[in-house]
Formats: sequence, structure tokens, C-alpha cells
Amino acid sequence: MSNEDNLSPHAQLSSHFFGDLLDSIIVDVASECHRIARLGLDRNLEEEEEEMRLSAQARLRVADPSNSSEANGKYIVDIFGQSHPSVASEIFECMNCSRSVMAGKFAPHLEKCMGKGRKARLKVTRSSTAAQNRNSRGSPASAYPPYSNSTSTSRLSNGSSSVAGEEYSNGVFEDP
Amino acid sequence: MTPRNNPPKPCEHLLDYKLKQGINGYKSLQKFLRTTPNGRSSLEKPDTKVPTCDSCNGYRGRFYFCLVCSSILCSDHVVVHNRSCKGHDVAVDVQRAELYCMVCCDQVYDPDFDRAVMSKHIVDFRDVESDGKSIGERLCKRKRSVCGGVVVTGQLRDSKGPKELVLMRDLRAKSCYPLGLRGLNNLGNTCFMNSVLQAMLHAPPLRSYFLTNQHNRETCRKRSADRLCLPCDIDDIFSAAFSGDRSPYSPAQFLYRSALQHFFPISNVIFDNGIWLNEHLFKAIMDIICGWWQHSADLASYEQQDAHEFFISLLDGIHEKEGKIKNRNRENGDCQCIAHRGFSGLLRSDVTCMTCGFTSTTYDPYVDISLNLDTSNHSMIDVGKKPIKPNESSSTSTLLGCLDLFTRPEKLGSDQKLYCQNCQERQDSSKQMSIRRLPLVLCLHIKRFEHSLIRKMSRKIDSYLHFPFSLDMTPYLSSSIVRNRFGNRIFAFEGDESDISTEFEILAVVTHSGTLESGHYVTYLRLRNQWYKCDDAWITEVDEGIVRASQCYMMFYVQKMLYNKANENLSHLKTSSKEEAFHRVAGFC
Repeated sequence: MSNEDNLSPHAQLSSHFFGDLLDSIIVDVASECHRIARLGLDRNLEEEEEEMRLSAQARLRVADPSNSSEANGKYIVDIFGQSHPSVASEIFECMNCSRSVMAGKFAPHLEKCMGKGRKARLKVTRSSTAAQNRNSRGSPASAYPPYSNSTSTSRLSNGSSSVAGEEYSNGVFEDP
Repeated sequence: MTPRNNPPKPCEHLLDYKLKQGINGYKSLQKFLRTTPNGRSSLEKPDTKVPTCDSCNGYRGRFYFCLVCSSILCSDHVVVHNRSCKGHDVAVDVQRAELYCMVCCDQVYDPDFDRAVMSKHIVDFRDVESDGKSIGERLCKRKRSVCGGVVVTGQLRDSKGPKELVLMRDLRAKSCYPLGLRGLNNLGNTCFMNSVLQAMLHAPPLRSYFLTNQHNRETCRKRSADRLCLPCDIDDIFSAAFSGDRSPYSPAQFLYRSALQHFFPISNVIFDNGIWLNEHLFKAIMDIICGWWQHSADLASYEQQDAHEFFISLLDGIHEKEGKIKNRNRENGDCQCIAHRGFSGLLRSDVTCMTCGFTSTTYDPYVDISLNLDTSNHSMIDVGKKPIKPNESSSTSTLLGCLDLFTRPEKLGSDQKLYCQNCQERQDSSKQMSIRRLPLVLCLHIKRFEHSLIRKMSRKIDSYLHFPFSLDMTPYLSSSIVRNRFGNRIFAFEGDESDISTEFEILAVVTHSGTLESGHYVTYLRLRNQWYKCDDAWITEVDEGIVRASQCYMMFYVQKMLYNKANENLSHLKTSSKEEAFHRVAGFC
């Protein structure tokens, strides 16, 4: 801060105003913090610092390549003493097509098998049963609508479906 | 944070003043109190725009209003005034409407004064037409597209006498690993599902519910050859996990049935609504719907492979089935399905007019809170909350920082001017979120995946986020946020319930590693103070440091008391009617 005596009266005045504004702001902040502290609303800084220290420490240890491979996902045995292949090898029967499937390949298998299970023909007409199957809550915009409660012809268990007489094809699993 | 429930002790001078004057002085001040739209109160005498000191006529410095004689004094003369006039001890800082003791030369606090300030503010808006409901008391049930517009109380009602489950445990077992700990086979990129299932298997309300057979598979009316019931499928998974068999379980049936649900009902809905589609449009829609587990980086499909999306759909599926049964005898009120009883809370949204300060409040239920990462150092402005630290910690994102960001007032753009009932026109507004009610299990979701529909791009934010193992949600409650908005006055702000349990303990962390296209989800579970890593089929013990250093995506915090209770119960789960479902596994550790 330059020597005030050397300033022009104009500059001195602005300097005073600035000083007043600054004082006002400082007291403002002090008053706010004072209240927060007195009312016990301030955060426990020691705790927070300790947390940060612990996490920094942890990250360093994990980043250290000489440390155990646990963090990298290389396992020898799990806590039950078991070992598992990288692709799950359990074999079971697919609920859709009854073929034997390996667990680790089940999802991609289902993708194909549920697709082919549908009828190939596409027949679309207006449905007159608009209100019949509507769940009281569901709206078409909902991403996860309810199961159909209708007593109509929908069959869900074997991979094919017909609703109120319509059939449709699933274009997904065919190459475009 | 340890908020006091008792206000700070007044100094003897304030006590004295109160004895003599009571609250009369405060009341007479009320007409001069003004509160700005952003919550700051001050004293303003209408005739004197610029306060001047009664002693020196000066206009500089701080001004104080003597509560005894109503004179205005600048900071230079306030002490003099106090010494010359006996008993004139208490004043009010004009600029901030704070009590000041001229003897102690310190700011002092009186709940009665704060109440006088706040009542005046509330009264100012009392006449504003607000549908007959008072400010802050409006409960607006907004429909949320996923989980329905229902609201829950945070307390789990004690289920009327669940049958005690007795599980005979083989006491020769070398080590007593927690029950229910079992690997889940990856069925082909299904780690997003496995990771969430692991967390659900150990979330106390859900676990108790299914293990005490509250969803009875035998009598479930929804279940038949044709019908699917998600809670039944979940029940199967619980049985499998808690059976005692420690070899990895393949949730194949669950996957298959979930797929059916997604494949078919949507198309049912389309037809049921008489939507006439041409072949191409239909194919396009089915492409999107059936892409539930497509492995491409296709935007629409990726969202479905997201663990968070799966979590939401799981809860929604439970609600769909259970909601109707459980809520049959209630007209309005909170949904009693286990999904909502466990996870649902209430968010409060305040929109404040920046011209007049009138605030309009709405409430929305939630089953999880999605948080943006606080990637920048924003603590510069938040006085009293976070100090500015020169070392690296100031640039690390923290969960508390994300919650601060979530509850920070946000100025709405000038293109989003909202109608203010007080001003009777559209005005610039600011919006602030806060938590009105906390659930038993709090799910916090970090928005690490950014999808831009315009640019058809998605990216993942890999920044490290620090999260605590013990979390106190007090600063994010509506009562705290609203109180802070008004300068932290000592006042019973709406929603101020000291019996709300705000302390949480971490139960599970769902982490994501890798890229958006080829990533992997792993869940860390904390059971009986030991951390377990659940990486599909592999269950291993890990040090807490590994968990701290991990890249968290979803965190499940459980109310502290419930968490402690659940940990005790882990060793003595008892089952009776479900005996046939549990297999004894001798010596299997």
C-alpha cells in the first residue's frame, strides 16, 4: 500500500471508501462465522482432515506396484478357498430353448435365443382393447411398465408372445 | 458437525436486558426489519436511508441501534454511549440484524430476537395467495416416472411379528463368515446386475423382509406359469445367497425373467394403446427396447446396462408387485412396499423469487440421490463451511462437496423466469434443493456417465471421489438448509425434527473401473466391520484402504442404529418355516 500522504485527495478519498467497504465485508464475514461457531453449526474440520489423509494414504498404497495384486483383481482363492475360471463354467438348461448353456455365455445366448423365438411375421392393427390391460399406475412413457395383468392371450413364459391377436417380429437380432 | 440443540448462553448483560424489557424491544423493531430475497436481514428506518451516528453525525463504520434508547451509534461511539448511559448494554447491528453487547463488545444470541426477525419475514408473505396452504407446508405429490408419486415415512414400522427364522448353523465351521456372502457368476457382462444384487442382499430392511418370508412364494398370487413376479425372483436369490452354499450362484432365472419383463410388456403397452405403427417404426422401437443387454456402446442400450438404472428398475419392479397389496387399506400416505420402506425419502425444492424473496416449495419422493461431481474448488465462496486449504486436499472431490453442490442455491437462467405469486409476474428465480426426509438406506449415485444426445457421445468421468465411512446428513436437511438461507437464525424452521436420525454408516460401495464401453462393476460390502470385495464369483477380504481408494459409483449408507443392529444379527439369523430352503454345509468356510 503506497504512502497515503503522497496520494492526491481524489485518490485518498477512493482509498478511504475502499477501506470502508473492505471493513464492512470483513465484519460481515466475521459475524457470520461467529454465529456458525457459537451455534455449533460448523463442520468438524479435524475429522475431515483425517479422512482426507486416510484416503490419500490409501491411494498411494494402491498405486504402489509392489503391493498385493488383490487390488488388481488377480485372485488365487476366495475366502471360501474356492477358485473360479474367468468365464463361469457352470452348465445349466436355458429356460427359453432348453439347450445346455454355459453360465458365462448365458446372457449373449439369451439375446439370440429369445429373438429367434418370436414369430417372424409382422401384423399390426389397431387394438380395441386399449383400456383393458392397462395397469392403474403405468403410463406408456414409463421405462419399466408393469407386467400385463390381462387375462388375454399373452404368454410370457416360452419366449413367444401374442397380445390381443397381434404378432410381431423382433428386428433386433437380425442383421440390418 | 455437532449442532447444538440449546442456544448459546447469553451474557449477563443480555440476560439483564431481557429481564427488564422482555421482548418488547424486539417487537417494536419489527417494523424496521427488512429481509432481502437472499435471506439477509437488516434494520432500515424508512426516513433515514443512510444511517448517521447520533453522536457525531458520521456515516462511516458500523452502525448499532441501542435497544434501550433507540439511538443510532457508529462503531466509534458505541462504547462511549454504553459507558455514559447506564444500562444501555444491548444494541442491534443495523446491517446484519444481529444482537451486539456493548459491554462484552461481542455478538450475542437470543432465540427470541431471531424469532422476531423470522416472524416478520414470514408475515410479509402471509397474504400471498398460495392455494390455502402455508409456505413450506405444501405437500405436492409429483409423479415420478419411475417410482410413482408416493411418499414414505423414514421409519420402518415394526412388522407385526415376523416369524423368527431359525437357521441351524454348523458350529464346527472353522470361521463364521457372514451369512449371505456368496459369489454371483457373471453370465456375460452382467456385473452391473451382480454388483447391485450384492448390495441388496445385505441391505437390512430388504434382507429382513425376504428372510422372514414376508413375500410368500407359495401363496404369491402373481406367480404362475404365465405370470412373472419380481419379488419372487428376488426371494429366490435371497434363498440361494443365505442357503449356506458358498459356491457361486448363477442368477440365470432372474436374468431370464427380467428379460421377459422388458421384452414383452412394453410391446404389450404399445398395442394396448392402439398405437398404429408401420413396420419400420416398430422395428426401430423394438431395437431400442430389446437392446437391454446389447454390448455395443449404443447410447440407449448402455443406459440399461448401467448399475444405477438396474437398481431403479429393481425397486420399481418390487413396488409394482408389492405396492398394490401393501397399500390396499390405505387411501393416501406412504407406500408400504419394502422398496419404498427401505429406500424412499423426500426431497424439498425451494424456488425463490430474486426480486421479492417469496419462496415456493414443493416436495418430491426419491429412492436415490444422483449427485454431480464437484470437480472444481468451490469453497472460495462458502464461508464458515470449508476453509481454503493450499494443499492437494482442496482439489480432491469429496462426497460432502457433492452434497454441498446439490444443496447449493442455483440461479435459474433468465430464459427460465418463473411466475412469482407475490410479484404477480415472471421473475428471475433461484432454486435450492434440500432433504426433507431420509430413508433407512440412503443410496447416493455419482453421475460419472455423461450422455449427450445431441452430440451422440458418452463419456465417463474418472475423477477420484472421497467418501466417508460415517456420514452425518444434518447439514443437508431442509431444516439446516433453510436455516442457513436466513443467516442461521435460532428458529424452528419447518421440518426441524430433532428426532430424525441423520447418522449413517456405509454398507456397500458399487465401484466402476474401466471405460464406458468396457468397464467392470465391483461391490465392496462392509459386514461386521470387515470389508469384502464382491467381484462376480469372487468374494475376498480386503483392507479398508482398498475401498477408500476405489472409484465409487453408488454408495449405500444405512442408518447407524439399523446398521449396528443388523451387524449383531448377522451371527444369529434364525429361520423356521423356510428350513427346507436352507442347506447345511458342514465345515464350508
